[in-house]
Amino acid sequence: MAYEEVKVKKPLALRLLPIASLVFFLGTWQLIVDFEVLPSSMLASPWQVIQLFVVKLTEANPDGAVLARHAWTSIQEAFTGYILSLIVGIPLGLFMGWFVVAEGLARPFFEMIRPIPPIAWIPLTIFWFGIGLAGKVFIIWIAGIVPCVINSYVGVRMTNPTLIQMARTYGATDWQIFTQICIPSALPMVFGALQIALAYCWTNLVGAELLAADTGLGFLITMGRRLARPDMVVLGMISVGLTGAFIGVIIDRVEKRLLAGIRR
Amino acid sequence: MEAVANEVQKTVREKRPFTLLTILKNRWFLYAVSMVFFFWLWDFVGERRILGSSLARPHEVLIQLADMVTNPLAGKSLFGHIWASTQRILIGFVIASVVAVPLGLLMALNPYINAVVKPVFDLLKPMPPIAWISISILWFGIGEASKVFIIIIGTFVPCLLNSYNGVRLIEPELYDVVRMLGGNRRQEIINVCFPASFPAIFAGLQISLSIAWTCVLAAELVSARSGLGFVIILGMNLARPALIVGGMVVIAVVAWLTTLLVTALEKLVCPWKREIEGM
Repeated sequence: MAYEEVKVKKPLALRLLPIASLVFFLGTWQLIVDFEVLPSSMLASPWQVIQLFVVKLTEANPDGAVLARHAWTSIQEAFTGYILSLIVGIPLGLFMGWFVVAEGLARPFFEMIRPIPPIAWIPLTIFWFGIGLAGKVFIIWIAGIVPCVINSYVGVRMTNPTLIQMARTYGATDWQIFTQICIPSALPMVFGALQIALAYCWTNLVGAELLAADTGLGFLITMGRRLARPDMVVLGMISVGLTGAFIGVIIDRVEKRLLAGIRR
Repeated sequence: MEAVANEVQKTVREKRPFTLLTILKNRWFLYAVSMVFFFWLWDFVGERRILGSSLARPHEVLIQLADMVTNPLAGKSLFGHIWASTQRILIGFVIASVVAVPLGLLMALNPYINAVVKPVFDLLKPMPPIAWISISILWFGIGEASKVFIIIIGTFVPCLLNSYNGVRLIEPELYDVVRMLGGNRRQEIINVCFPASFPAIFAGLQISLSIAWTCVLAAELVSARSGLGFVIILGMNLARPALIVGGMVVIAVVAWLTTLLVTALEKLVCPWKREIEGM
């Protein structure tokens, strides 16, 4: 070994500060509510949120479902839309990157749809699909497809031209170059899209549920507001954040597993 | 001319015979075909009522938009609504970027500030900005403040993350050069950190602008009396599809124009950014 990596131990202050900062944050939050700096109709303390969490594990009232069911509905919607957007978006982006005809025909469609935030589709989808699962899946699909297409397109476009020229020299057909050179070299970018698309899907899921839903984590937040129960709102927000982060970690693991052996 | 690993190559273009196939494979011809097909499909679906009566035909949308320019809708003309949304975005965006960008830079440059801010930031980061709408309505009511708050929350995260990562991912060789030439810490920061992280910061601003559009729409869909989100939700409540689609078209155009503006600004402010071909 040419040189050894030396691990420098962080100074004590640097190791303690993050903990102190978190404790300070949660403490201030708790105290703000305890001493009624903000009225209790505006903010719930961490302790109240934990209590409500325990209650909501088994109690369906007052919003009609237990926490696990809300979470399950949201995950179901998000995943259906997410998978559909991967299935459509990645091949579309790959084809657009390599075949002129595919790009010429698909790009104007895509560029016209792209600047519209997925949230703006909500009123139309309510007309088209009602407030059931299909409408939300459609919105999530639109949200997820954009990063999939862009990343796979750019991935193919960034293929090293030397490799393509070499394949040409050896007499490869267009299709062979596409499947054996362009797609493998685009893979890291495509996998990058998995995370981005997931984040988009999750954000827009909450948006879709705020407007039209009868279960789901976004619905929990809305009900909390309607009932003026800030503890329910905060619980909903934290569940959304935690579930999103958790799914993100899983996707990251999958990505690492699949990408093992591919040079970035 | 293209340089690959110290060799300079020259790509020679063969003159191809001009046939029907050349026209058919021409990019601009295909774009035109695709656009025509898009509008034809839209018109066809609208005319045959394949999706019920809920999709307005293109010319109905145009008539609706022209009508909104002259006849105010809910007290504001079309431009009034556009300005209402843009104003909210601008206020929130400016506040968030003025706070978040310097904070991100400080976090990357000073480990102590990082140790204090990062845990709290990491705690709040995974919550989508739209999830904050309810709490912001509880806090600020349904006025302007709650919408601006949502936009601040939404734009804060990418601004901070990008300026933070922009500094942290600077190639260490650049620092080595400055140090070798006898630069001190201040010169390192001013001459290396800032210019090198600028493209990343700008990318963050661009991302946050598009997130700001999502946020302002979501906030306006939930509660508002002006703005483009209000226009489309009004269209839904009055069952007037032309209004919904018209609102979406305007949103697309305005969002697209903002992106163009930022890209142009970026070229002006930091021309040293390396471009990736494509989108």
